[in-house]
Parts: sequence; structure tokens; C-alpha cells
Amino acid sequence: MTSALLALFATVVGTVLSCVLSCLPGLHVYNVMGLLVLLIYWLADLGITMPAEVYLPFMSSMIVGWSILNTIPSMLLGAPDESAIFTVLPGQKYLMMGRGYEGTMMTGVGSLAGIFILVFIVGPLAPKLLPVVQAVLRGHMHWVLWVIITYILLSEWPKGGNSGPAGWRKFGDAWRSLAAGLFTFFISGIMGFILLNRSPISTEMAFQNIMPAFVGLFAIPWCLLNIISGAEVPPQHIADSMDVDGSVILRSSAAGGLGGGFAAFFPVITGGIGGLLAGHATAQRDERVFIMSQGVSKVLYYTGAFMLMFVPGLGVTRGGGAWMIKSLHTPVGYGDYYLIMATIAIAGAVSYLIMSPLTRGVIWLIGRYNYRYVSAVALAIIVLLVYLVTSWAGLFIMAVGTGIGLIPVLFASRRLNCLGILLLPIACNMSGFGHKIADLLGLI
Amino acid sequence: MKGISHFASGVAVTSFFPWAIQAAQESNPMYFILGGAFGLLPDTLDFKIYRFFYKHDLYIEPDPLKPDPQSIADQLAASVKAASESKKLVRVKCSTIRMGADAWQQYVIKFDTETDEVLVKFGPVVNTGQVPIPGASKMEGEIGRAKIPCKLFQSYDATTRVDIFDGPTFGFASDGKGGVIMHFLPWHREWTHALTVGLFFGIIGTLIWDWRAGAVITAGYSVHVLEDQLGFMGSNLFWPFTRIRFPGLHWMRSGDAMPNFGTVWLSCLIIFYNLYRAMPSSIYHFNLLHVLFYGAVVPIGLFKLALWFVNRGKVAETGPIELEDEWGDKA
Repeated sequence: MTSALLALFATVVGTVLSCVLSCLPGLHVYNVMGLLVLLIYWLADLGITMPAEVYLPFMSSMIVGWSILNTIPSMLLGAPDESAIFTVLPGQKYLMMGRGYEGTMMTGVGSLAGIFILVFIVGPLAPKLLPVVQAVLRGHMHWVLWVIITYILLSEWPKGGNSGPAGWRKFGDAWRSLAAGLFTFFISGIMGFILLNRSPISTEMAFQNIMPAFVGLFAIPWCLLNIISGAEVPPQHIADSMDVDGSVILRSSAAGGLGGGFAAFFPVITGGIGGLLAGHATAQRDERVFIMSQGVSKVLYYTGAFMLMFVPGLGVTRGGGAWMIKSLHTPVGYGDYYLIMATIAIAGAVSYLIMSPLTRGVIWLIGRYNYRYVSAVALAIIVLLVYLVTSWAGLFIMAVGTGIGLIPVLFASRRLNCLGILLLPIACNMSGFGHKIADLLGLI
Repeated sequence: MKGISHFASGVAVTSFFPWAIQAAQESNPMYFILGGAFGLLPDTLDFKIYRFFYKHDLYIEPDPLKPDPQSIADQLAASVKAASESKKLVRVKCSTIRMGADAWQQYVIKFDTETDEVLVKFGPVVNTGQVPIPGASKMEGEIGRAKIPCKLFQSYDATTRVDIFDGPTFGFASDGKGGVIMHFLPWHREWTHALTVGLFFGIIGTLIWDWRAGAVITAGYSVHVLEDQLGFMGSNLFWPFTRIRFPGLHWMRSGDAMPNFGTVWLSCLIIFYNLYRAMPSSIYHFNLLHVLFYGAVVPIGLFKLALWFVNRGKVAETGPIELEDEWGDKA
């Protein structure tokens, strides 16, 4: 009984803490979890042991809360993490129409649908189905990754070459954005090789290795764009209801569930890629479905990947959160699985309840202060956090990442190409020739 | 169909070749990459290369300072007339109207075959996200209307919306009996969507790599062409031996959600089953029917049932045909 109450308390505290974290643009939940893991090790050195019934629900609920509530800065402040990259444009559209609250709450409903899928569909079926899937696909992950890279690179739509007579000039105009996309992917990939093999960040901060790069690639270019464009945000309407029905929720759940689930199960496939694949595969024209499906996808990606570690008989570890927990705890049987499922359900419900007041708060902030100033403050917070967590080396990586992240902004190419930072080096490593490339680059 | 459907089909077809799976298990993903890439290649050739070199007889480029729907309608009607009189294919490109760095005047073109008219209606001024810009739409609702001087036939009963980036192309060709046939995107599914071209690329692949690669390339390319034949537009299946597009089977529209999702999902299940078949031994035992039943029939059936339940009593909406439906999302 005491353990159950302790777990419940840890869940609620973890969720509330995630509220604060999720509203700080640029700060990833894994950064905080990394620091917590270091803290637990430090306490253990002092002879103080933290029970698993406390840190498991605490950290799980932080992941759940963050995956739901981090939509707020992505949509309203335009400072996304990679998995929310596709929510920024529709989010800003809604904001510019005075419907920022409605747009954010739509992703909230999507997140709640994601929690429902995890607890009531994936939860009971996963121990029976996923070990079979894993047994069949285990030796094939590397080529699936290559196939997805191929699709990402081939599927970008040319943005230029829209007017004027036919010929090379028109072709060149169209291929400017495509070439910039390919360049972004490969230059990010080289950066990934460098960070994997010769990271300038000290080993004590090993959990934070990729954070400054991601912040530079994805969040800072948006903030800079917001500051430069100086957009005026119209007064926001706090709607009593949302323009959604059962059909929209169902279609969003299918699209987001597919993309997020795929990203959660396959290594290195991120939430952003899952969102892209789901959007394409389900061919949804309805913007409401798109926005809501991104909420579903993000929850399934972060929380679902974390949950996989606890599925009995599966033996799969996916996502930074799971790897950190694995260094502290080895899941055993259905007890841990049920604990995690209950945590996800409670944290999901609490997060959704928190979402409305938190969104109203951020909207008040945007209305009270100029959007340009809010973006500038968001940028300052991001830079400060990167400095505090990773020091000057991290700021340097962040600056390089920003340079690369601005290429898609300037050439109107797909920002997801920045994910070359993960995809290229890891796909090469999984296919067994990563070390040759690293050697070629003079990194080993 | 959408790009991802063709791509997934190309990978699924590749999984039927045992050597492709064996190579993949030995850390060589080449055959699967080729299968997916050549599954997508026909559209890649059209949308990323060929259309930029496709010459048009008339470029309708409305003046952004003084856009006029009547002028667009008149030029389209004149093109139909020119095709009827000249007996030649008249190719017309309708450009987008860029009003500013992030502002586009939206307009809709409709060929009304009942009243023999072409209608051009101005919509709102939208940003690149296709969202109306408040206060910018001074001409919204203005209509241009022009009489078509002969009978017009169209395989695509399209209302074409033109707003951001690229505009559509229409080809008007005389039917030899006084009427004119309208081809939507005449540069699309022409020579690139031919089974013979798939065979040609297969031979090239054989010369570069080996006959296995050639087989994968031909299979991936051909499955794209055959899938497209299920739609409205059809393809020129045996170019250069044939010159026009064979009519499609009209079973689906290229942007429809269910056929696209169904193709991707079915491809995933087929890949999964083929990988299972290639396993030397397994503690799990199932057959293709199990995979299809538990992987497709049950979940899709339950989803459709739930969708029917929440949609009962509502009328399904059909949207205008979008240029990107022929390719994929712009995300």
C-alpha cells in the first residue's frame, strides 16, 4: 500500500515537474533525466539508495508529461524539438488566425488518444505480438533504416521552377531547394559522425551529447525566424469547444498511431520521421487530422518507446529515456509492466488537465508581450540552458547546428533533412561500415 | 497514388526475391534501396525533371498587380478553340499568382461540360501554408466566365485549385469529330510511366550491377505503372510503341486515403511475411492468411466499423483535385 502511494505521489510530482520543463523551449526531458540519473548514482555513492518504485514512475511520468505538454512551446512559441517539427507551421497558422488555444488543445486531445492506444490497445497486445515481430525483424533493422533514408531523400517536393519558359533555368530554380535538402542531410551526417566519434563534450555529460546539436538544428532557426519576421500575433480566442468530431479523432489516432508506433519500434527512427511517414501513408487532407495526429504520434514515440523496455518477453530498449533507466534498473516480469502502464495512464490524464491552464498562460504571455520579445526570451533561455548543461563546447556545437539548421530555412527545403545527424552515422554503423567512413574522415 | 505507396510497393516486390533478403541479412541493403527508389522513379522523373523541360504553347501568367479572372477564363477558352481548329495538341500552363513573399492569390478553374463554359473563381489570398491572410483578399469571389466553342471531354472531372508554388498544365487535343479532349497534366504519366521504360532501366541496372538488380529495378518500376493504372488518368504503358495514355480503371483517385494507406500497410505485411519465410528456423509458426487476417482484416475492419459508427448519418465530402495528390505531401 505504501509503495503504491509512493508510486502515485512520484507520478504526480513527475508530471507536474514536466509542466515546467516542457514550457522551457529547447530543454529536452532526456537532459533532465540524464542529470537525475547522475544524481541517483551520486546518492548511491553516499549510501542512499533510491527505490525503483519512486524513480521509475517519477521518470516515466516526466516522459509522459513532457511528450504531451511540450507541444505548447512548439505550437505557440515556434520552438520545437525534432519530433514536433511538423506542428510548428500549422501551429503558427492557428496562432495567426487567433486560434492558438484551439490548435494546441487539438494536439492535447491527440495525446490523450495516444495514451488510450498505449494503455488499452498496445498494453494488452504487446506481450503477445511484439516478440513475434521482433523475432522476424531483428536482423533487418539496418536495411529498413536505409530504405527510410532513401525515401526521405527522394520524396521531397521541388519548391521552385514555378514560372517562366521551360528549360535549364527553370530546372535549376526547382533543384535549388532539393540540392539544399541533400546538402543539409549529408552535412548533418558528417556532423553526426564527428559527434559520435570525437565529441568535444566531456564524458561526464555523456547523456547530453546530442542535445546542443538538436537545439541548433531544430529550435534556434525557428526562434531566429520569429525574431526576424517580427510577426504580429492577433488576439487569441479561448474557445469553449473544438472543431473536431469522432471521425477526426479516429483518423488522427490511426495516422499518428501508425507513425509514432513505427518510430517507437524501429531504432533511430525519430518521432519527426514517424510523423512524416504517417502523414504521407494516410494521405490526410484535413488539417485538424494532421495536427491531432502529431499529438498522437509524439506520445506514442516517446512514451511507447520507453514502454517497450518493460514489455515482458520482448527485450527491446528504444529511446534515450529507456537507455538511461536501463543503467539503473532491469525490468522484471509483469509487475514492472503494470506499474509503467498505470503511471502512463495517470500521468497522461494529469497532463491533459494541466494543458488547458498552461496553454492559457502562454497565450497570456504572448498577448501581454510582443511576440518578437517572447521569441527572443525563448532563444535566450535555450542558449542559457545549453551553456549550463554542456558549457562552451555545447554552445559551439549548437552554433554549428544552427548554421546547418538555417540552410533549409533559407532554401525552403525540408527541415527533417537535418536528421542526417543521426540517420547517416547510425545506418552506416548498423551496416558495418561506419568505422570506415569515420576513418576516411580522419576521426579514428 | 502517393509516392509513399509506390515506394512501399517497390520494397514489397523486392522482398519476393530471396537473394535480396539474403543480401540484406549480409549487411547489403542495395536491392531493397533499388526496389524502393525505382518504385518511386516514374513520378520522380516527371515531377523533379521532365516537367521543367516540358514546353507549353501558352503560359497564362496573371499580373499580380492587376489579377483578372476573366482574362484567365478567356485564355483557357481560346486555347480550347485553337486546339479544335488546329487539330494539334495545345498545351497551356496556368501559373500561380504570387502577391508577395508569402502571399498567393488563390483561384479555382472549372470546366463545366454541361454548360460548355470555363469558370475561374478567385478565392482568398493565402500564405504558403494555404491559410487565408485576413484583410488581404480584395478580389475573393470574383468570377471569370468564358464560353467554350465546342464540346469538351475530360477524363478528370476536376475542379482545379491553383494557389501556392506551381500551377497545373492542361493539354487540349482535338478528337477529330469537332470536340476537344482535355488532358490534365499532359507531361505526367507520359513516357515515364511505361512498362517498356521499366524494362530499359532493368537492362541498365543489369549492366551496372547484375541481373538480380535488373530484376528488382524492373519489378519496382512496373508495379508503380500498374498501380497508377487503377486510377483515372492512366499511363502510356508501352511508349515509344504507343503515343497516348491508356485510360485508367477509375477504381480510385490518386489522393484517396484508404487506397494509399491500404497499399502501404499491405506492403508492410507482405514484407514481414517474406522476411519470416526467409528465416532458417523460428519458434513462431504462421502463414500468410494469419498475417493478413490479424494484420489487416481485424484492425482495418474494426477501424472502419468505428468510423462508420461515428460518421453515421453524415454525407461524405469530396475535395478538389490537388496537384500534389499526384506526388505526395509537401511536408
